[in-house]
Amino acid sequence: MSSTTIAVLGTLADFHREPIPYNLGALVQLVRRIRPDLLCLDLTPEQWRARAFADLPPEYREALLPLADQTDIVVVPIAGDCPPPEPAAPGWRGRVIRWAWSGLATLHRSAPGPAGANQGWRHEAANWLYTLIGWLAGPDLRRDWKNHIDHLTRQVLEAARRDPGCRILVAVNVRYCHHIRHALHGQPDVRLVDFSEL
Amino acid sequence: MTAKVLILSPSPLRNAAWRALLAGQPEVTVIGAGVNIETLAPLAAAGTPTALLADVSEGQAELARQLKASLPQAGLLFLVPAYSLGEILPLLQAGALGCVAHTASVPDLVRGLIAVSRGELFLPPAIAAQALVALARGEAPAPDLTEPLSEREAEILGLLAQGLTNKDIAQTLIVSVRTVEAHLRNLFAKLGVRSRTEAALWAVRHGYPLDDRSRR
Repeated sequence: MSSTTIAVLGTLADFHREPIPYNLGALVQLVRRIRPDLLCLDLTPEQWRARAFADLPPEYREALLPLADQTDIVVVPIAGDCPPPEPAAPGWRGRVIRWAWSGLATLHRSAPGPAGANQGWRHEAANWLYTLIGWLAGPDLRRDWKNHIDHLTRQVLEAARRDPGCRILVAVNVRYCHHIRHALHGQPDVRLVDFSEL
Repeated sequence: MTAKVLILSPSPLRNAAWRALLAGQPEVTVIGAGVNIETLAPLAAAGTPTALLADVSEGQAELARQLKASLPQAGLLFLVPAYSLGEILPLLQAGALGCVAHTASVPDLVRGLIAVSRGELFLPPAIAAQALVALARGEAPAPDLTEPLSEREAEILGLLAQGLTNKDIAQTLIVSVRTVEAHLRNLFAKLGVRSRTEAALWAVRHGYPLDDRSRR
């Protein structure tokens, strides 16, 4: 059985709409160039079947789903039914969360391109801020994030094992991609690579 | 695979409009446009088209026969006013692989061009199933299988007989298009057919579109 190659690409939600190097156009260009066989997206099978895209982030609604429609890229909906809520907390923890968001915004806006947002010090710093936000928002949110990431990872692996030898790109919010990469690393029959090597 | 498209319309202005519309589409390259078959011939010789978009309202079936004879390598996609079996069936019998209604969207048109360029039938599934049943009635009975189909092959054959393109089948089963193509190659060998249309007709005669197990 040939191994399946998987890359995880972090996306930036509403920041993609801003005039930054990693904007929607750059994302479309990148995924068109990679041309994966399967594109795993953080949407539910129900959203996919009903084509209910109104609540999805702009990088899905305006970039990746239209691209998949017009190419051979097959969409794999990998989300569960209970997406985690946005992190929030009262008092000083809430203020620190807002400060962390502004730090993340600076990091995302200043990324020189997809690689800048997905690797290197900027990616590590963003991951650290997301971890901080998770701790400040409390154990319930951390549990929800973990469950969501576990579900996403299981669905990616299921897609990989259903179609051995194919090339899979997982495009999810950058807050999850570090953890998904970690969970996929070392799995049998799959080879985790950088998106530039897919 | 990029669809290399020729456009046929009696109006140069409409040809220019089609070129402009398709210019920005991924996986579609317009290699030329002409107002009649004679003007298409040199373009076809130079560019090896894989698909032809025919925007011609008069004498479509006869035109399809002529185009099939002069450009056998190009999948023929006709623009039609509406998806009516009465209009579509003669086109399919004359060699067209698909139709796109004037009410269709640009992504539908692009998917149609890509599908016919691969030799796939491109019609809305409801019409495709009816068209295949109608075509199958006029064909000689198909021989039965000598080698059984795998569960996956039977599933794919059922979807093929519902008029789904390879991409649609891949999306339904959530596997890659290349995997579907590999299954189809095995299927064609087992059925003893040379094209997906023949395979779809075989499936219709054996009741595959009526079998809902293949739908997820």
